[in-house]
Amino acid sequence: MIKLENVYKNYGSLQVLKNISLEVAQGEVVVVIGPSGSGKSTLLRTINGLETIEGGQVLINDFSVHASQENLHKARQLTGMVFQQFNLFNNKNVMENVTIGPINVQKKSKAEAAEIALALLEKVGLPEKAQVYPSKLSGGQQQRVAIARALAMHPQVMLFDEPTSALDPEMISEVLEVMKGLAFDGMTMVVVTHEMGFAREVADRVVFMDDGIILEEASPAEFFSNPKHERTKLFLSRILNH
Amino acid sequence: MQHLEFSVLIEYLPAIMDGLSMTIKISIMSIILGSIMGVGGALCRISKSFLLRSIGNIYVEWIRNTPLLIQILFIYFGLGVFFNLSPVVSSVLALSFFSGAYITEIIRSGIKSIHKGQREAALSIGMTEWQVMRLVVLPQAIKRILPPLAGQFITLIKDSSLVSVIAVTDLTYVAKNIVTITFRAFEVWLAIAAFYFILSFSLSLVVRKLEERLAESD
Repeated sequence: MIKLENVYKNYGSLQVLKNISLEVAQGEVVVVIGPSGSGKSTLLRTINGLETIEGGQVLINDFSVHASQENLHKARQLTGMVFQQFNLFNNKNVMENVTIGPINVQKKSKAEAAEIALALLEKVGLPEKAQVYPSKLSGGQQQRVAIARALAMHPQVMLFDEPTSALDPEMISEVLEVMKGLAFDGMTMVVVTHEMGFAREVADRVVFMDDGIILEEASPAEFFSNPKHERTKLFLSRILNH
Repeated sequence: MQHLEFSVLIEYLPAIMDGLSMTIKISIMSIILGSIMGVGGALCRISKSFLLRSIGNIYVEWIRNTPLLIQILFIYFGLGVFFNLSPVVSSVLALSFFSGAYITEIIRSGIKSIHKGQREAALSIGMTEWQVMRLVVLPQAIKRILPPLAGQFITLIKDSSLVSVIAVTDLTYVAKNIVTITFRAFEVWLAIAAFYFILSFSLSLVVRKLEERLAESD
């Protein structure tokens, strides 16, 4: 479903992605972990073209995301993204945040969009917040609305960019629960996170990145109990024994 | 020391009112035209095209680094060599060009101040650049733009007094004439200052009301 082929990305003279190849099958949950600065968020953002690439290609259902403006637009309609900082539209209430895509991009009627939105707000456990503005919500609630906003476009893939990193510890689980629900419903997901528990429990595959390359790729059981690279071992020992 | 004689104001009230209406007329036209130029200038300055960005930069820097008085004189007398511009048209042009440059910067920085995450979120759900601007960025930017924009409009009303040098019969020009005739400088200039104050201050009250209404989502 998603295929990265020899992707290169530079910021000036700094190489952030060095010859990255990765495949994600339909219905698969892939968790990307690695130290900060390893390029994992950048990798995620090349999938919906928020980052340009300098070499290689990203394919979604066999069309090349970066080949044309049209493909880019198509890629963004097939994927939903959830950001670390939630990025809800501050000038819109919850309902408007969730319906803005269906109404303006998919040209659905307001009534139809509202129906979809209410069902999704129900799903993320916030039906009573429809008329509230983002500034009045907690971080966890904002992130759940952001998930509903992405889902409202009926994406085939969900991209999560450190969705719980900006949250207070007690709000992390409410967001992870929603994500687990999605995974069990069969959604294809690529998740950049530091939540090892989530990776262990939900991921079909764990990808470990360091310094712009994919160092290791394995099932969670294999990855956590029997990491191959020294760098992976070091990372895991630091993050699991603190 | 002479007595103050405010009755001259009553006597010349019709002339003062004419001047006031000219000042209001020029200000309103310049605010509208200047805002249009400001939007255009801001779009140039944030454009991806190097040419448009350069045009925007030259416009802003040229206007901001020359005196308004010179700009008024240049448009009326300088361009007057080639085009037959009336004093009123010259004034509106000069004030619009002038305030447009400042409005360009106000709008540009308002747009730039919106966190890039807002843009990325909008792009990620498939919006076009234009939809991102219209539905997400501009509605938020406008709240930050409004206070400095109001300040710019008020500056424009006050600066419009300079157009009296090219014989536009605005509030200031009328006042000079009345003082020449009556020698009542203190009374007349005090009253004229009060008129400018009322104009400027009522504008800021209107904007304050508008800001309160826009604050709903904060």
